[in-house]
Amino acid sequence: MKPFFRRNSMLLISLLVLIALFAFAGRGMGSKDFVITMLRGLSVGAVTFLVASGFSLIFGLLDVLNLAQGTLYMIGAYIGWTMYIRPDTFMDLVPLLALMVSGFALNGVWNIVVGHIHLNPKVQRIIPWTLIALSLALFAIILPKYPIAIWDLNNYAQSPVTYSFMADQGTRLPVTPAVFSQISPFLAFGGLLLASMLFAFAVSLFGHAAQAQGRLKVKNFVPLAIVLIVAMVGYVFNNTLTNFFLGMDTTVLFLISVLVAALSGAALGGLMETVLIRPLYSRPIYQLMLTIGLSAIGVQIVQAIWGRNEFIMPKPSLFAGSGGACPASSLASWLQNHCSTIWLLGGRVRVYDEIFIPLVGIIVLIAVWILLKRTRLGMVIRAGVQDREMVEALGINVRRVFTMVFALGVGLATFGGSLAAPSTGLSNAMGESLLLSALIALAIGGLTSYPGAALGSLLVGFIQQFIIKYGQIGIPIPFTDIVFKPSPPIVPASTVLLMVIVLLILPHGLLGKKE
Amino acid sequence: MLKTRISFFREQRNPIILLLITLALPFIIGIFEGSSPLMVWANQGSISKFIEGLGIEIFILALYALSFDLIFGVTGLLSFGHAMFFAVGAYLTGIALKTLGLPLYAVIGLVFVAAIVQAVLFGLVLPRVKGITFALVTLGMASVFHIVVMSSDVANYTGGDVGLQGVVVPAFINPAIERLRFYFIALIILFLAYWLYKVFVSSPTGRVCVAIRENEDRAKMLGYNTFKFKLAALMLASITAAFAGTLHALYQPVISPTIADLGFTVTALLIVLIGGVGTLSGAVIGALVYRLLDFVLRRYIGASASLVTGAIYVAFVLFIPYGIMGTWQLKKWAWKEGIQRLLRLFQVKPEEGEPKPQQSK
Amino acid sequence: MTNILEVQGIHTFIGRYHILQGVDVSVPEGSITALLGRNGAGKTTTLKSVLGLRSVREGSILFDGKPVHGMRSFDIAALGIGFVPEHRAIFRDLSVEENLKIAERHKGDLANKRDFIFDLFPDLKKFLAMPGLSLSGGQQQMLAIARALIADNRLLLIDEPSEGLAPVIIEHMISVIRQLSKKSTVLLVEQNFLVASKLAEYYVIIEEGRSVKAGKMSDLVNDRAAIHQYLGAA
Repeated sequence: MKPFFRRNSMLLISLLVLIALFAFAGRGMGSKDFVITMLRGLSVGAVTFLVASGFSLIFGLLDVLNLAQGTLYMIGAYIGWTMYIRPDTFMDLVPLLALMVSGFALNGVWNIVVGHIHLNPKVQRIIPWTLIALSLALFAIILPKYPIAIWDLNNYAQSPVTYSFMADQGTRLPVTPAVFSQISPFLAFGGLLLASMLFAFAVSLFGHAAQAQGRLKVKNFVPLAIVLIVAMVGYVFNNTLTNFFLGMDTTVLFLISVLVAALSGAALGGLMETVLIRPLYSRPIYQLMLTIGLSAIGVQIVQAIWGRNEFIMPKPSLFAGSGGACPASSLASWLQNHCSTIWLLGGRVRVYDEIFIPLVGIIVLIAVWILLKRTRLGMVIRAGVQDREMVEALGINVRRVFTMVFALGVGLATFGGSLAAPSTGLSNAMGESLLLSALIALAIGGLTSYPGAALGSLLVGFIQQFIIKYGQIGIPIPFTDIVFKPSPPIVPASTVLLMVIVLLILPHGLLGKKE
Repeated sequence: MLKTRISFFREQRNPIILLLITLALPFIIGIFEGSSPLMVWANQGSISKFIEGLGIEIFILALYALSFDLIFGVTGLLSFGHAMFFAVGAYLTGIALKTLGLPLYAVIGLVFVAAIVQAVLFGLVLPRVKGITFALVTLGMASVFHIVVMSSDVANYTGGDVGLQGVVVPAFINPAIERLRFYFIALIILFLAYWLYKVFVSSPTGRVCVAIRENEDRAKMLGYNTFKFKLAALMLASITAAFAGTLHALYQPVISPTIADLGFTVTALLIVLIGGVGTLSGAVIGALVYRLLDFVLRRYIGASASLVTGAIYVAFVLFIPYGIMGTWQLKKWAWKEGIQRLLRLFQVKPEEGEPKPQQSK
Repeated sequence: MTNILEVQGIHTFIGRYHILQGVDVSVPEGSITALLGRNGAGKTTTLKSVLGLRSVREGSILFDGKPVHGMRSFDIAALGIGFVPEHRAIFRDLSVEENLKIAERHKGDLANKRDFIFDLFPDLKKFLAMPGLSLSGGQQQMLAIARALIADNRLLLIDEPSEGLAPVIIEHMISVIRQLSKKSTVLLVEQNFLVASKLAEYYVIIEEGRSVKAGKMSDLVNDRAAIHQYLGAA
């Protein structure tokens, strides 16, 4: 027992100081303010955690600092919004996207085919590029003609801002379904399928080092079949499904949106890792630059599609109730009226922001914890964080695990984005500030430590909210009459300062491993 | 003595030729737009004046990227707080001229002292944190500076988030009037800094810095106090960046707080990566490419320029991983090799199957 | 007797350093073969090259008659090669049981081998739930070997098993490796010539990245001049 204390004395002292600080901070305000501030801190912490944990998993196993994580968080929010407010747009996109990735669904087949091809090196170098150029040309021809019902950024009445506002009011703008008018659907589908196949084949030609394993089996074609079925269902039942989504209770629709955001994030992450990050494992600093570049591109894409204006995402019906019985005075009353706010210990608390989000954060924390501690994948991840080479020497395909972890990490970020959107709204800058918070949280908690990510996020959330609160009520400075009111910019500065102090005392963060 | 001087000129032949061309550039442009060298000298040609302005911005950016390359590319310290070095110089110059009304030489002295102080500040954390943690701590310190500069409490001095305006620049280098003179001064400062850096890197101290980048533990085992060398590199970089900031403050009508944020450090990182990490000349070339690219894209594409810029960076990372100068150096070797092979083809058959020796620095 | 592993003239680079410059190793099936040589001669790199952990630029590696060079390392390992690396490479954050379980190639491997492994290493049974980092050096070595036994490996690559261990534990180690060699072939890297000479039937000496001498251990033991020349030990 004793060595434990001695080894971790610095950590224990730091934790004690932090707890004392919070207790002291709490004494300065009423219990009502204290509870609300704590809950808000918890909420901010939960969202930060979703981004930070993904970041930490990716960094721990892959040694990749994914600085695009903040942008991906933002993209998650926008994807969730699209599914939630404009299911028709989403349904139009389903067949398109499914066909665009269909080529990659055949990756297993391509690898085997490539393994059997032996070309002279010069030809082998030219062919993939030719195929990619061909495929891009096909995409360039088809995509502009592919019909998608979408909002109009230039027309205020049909802008995302208006759609959000209308949805919040409970009415929806009538939308005109998109129809194939410029191109025959079969031509479009066939072209997209072909283009995607060419692209995926070219990409696997680049990685020709992988050797052929066995022969083609029916199994290798299953992913393609699934993708094609999704595409066909999406096309044939487009209107039926759109109306089904539109008629749905917003709570269920919201859950679907969050799920869609998380899954698209995972898919995006998987794609990013296999196509862009993988060639760069031997050059870490270039990965950094790559993720920075991707981050800039992501922001631009979001601006091009959804515009620069900020807009809101209405809360799902479960958390949007108002009227005579609101704010709810008890849990039972809330369950009956679905109020947006509830009385808690004398304070008026927003249910979605301050109770639901922290709850989801805790659930994710536990779920990923179980994944890490109780599953074989988790075991491989934990082992791989320490010694990748040894894991490989045991005969485990670490590369596949890398892809999965990257997908998981990005999925967590987009999930966080879609979850936070109803609370924070959507803006082009939401990713950047969250990335900074997440980085600070990780530095405080320990870069590769999963519990560290949770602790750090929590601390960041608390400190931000306490400072904001004290900015409102002011801090009386002892022995003087001066009341110091921290201005809003001090909020990020305070967390940064905490990070610097923690890192100087404990260079590996609170829960980080010593080398 | 003479011999070394001659060998210096021979070694630095390309930079000196470039320097001379760049010195003559405004006059050449002037001839094309139809204004005589005398008119250019009197700052009358409009296009040449514009080119001079662009040139000045590139020189400042190059100076800044050069200093980043020294600590990142040469010494191997990844700092995310480099923008602070630059911003401190810029803001200090602005405030000293505007609010304190100091003469220029005093301002330069002040910037010099401040640069050393902030290098020591960064140096304080050096023994404690390494690698990515150092990057985060420096990011933290720079963010605090950025936030303080932006905050309304000191807006009287720094201009808050609007930026610092109305700095009275001494008339003899006022870029609005004496643009050409400013152009020459900036260019010569850049050249001197580049030359100084080359000397530093090939000096014993510089070589130890390179050794630290390659393997710090080994450098330590050889008995070097690596901390001192890292601190020396930090100081040199800090002073250079701060003077780049001073030039920026003198040249730009508004000192925007964006020069203190993470994005500006990333700019340095990108410039260095475009040019080639650790090559020094790459920082200058990178700044040129970066600024011109930015200028052209903004002009012809407009709002979505950074989409294209981002794509270009990604392409750079994937396909030109050693940057422009790095790749050029590698290819130069391959070229020589190719020519030699061609020659050998006529005499003897080259040996087959021999493993190619790896290119070393 | 056939050779289960045949390494022919491999060249391996680490970064820009040309580490292996022509190494030949033949490992007869069922034998214990030792790689000998001074520090930095390239013994560990040879093992890692076999497993594909270092990329081999030239030469060939045949496992069980099939070429494996250029394959991805996890595919090579899955053919039935177990690896006990230098410094053990125990997963510190995983419990002892997880350290064994992670080596499973099929579900239930651990359950099948449980008795066999605990007979060999009774200590491990006591510490099953403890994290890997709490084990002593000797126990870590046991665990590292046990980990290589979970899957049905036909070839075991063992790097410096006696390094940093107390003499008593080394004796145990020797008996364990002898027992193992009844089931699978062992390729051993060993600095301690005494240990190597007790264990191995065959040897290969590597010097400065080249294999310079190979043969039967019983011949080498009597060749004092060679021992002195290549190993510097008596």
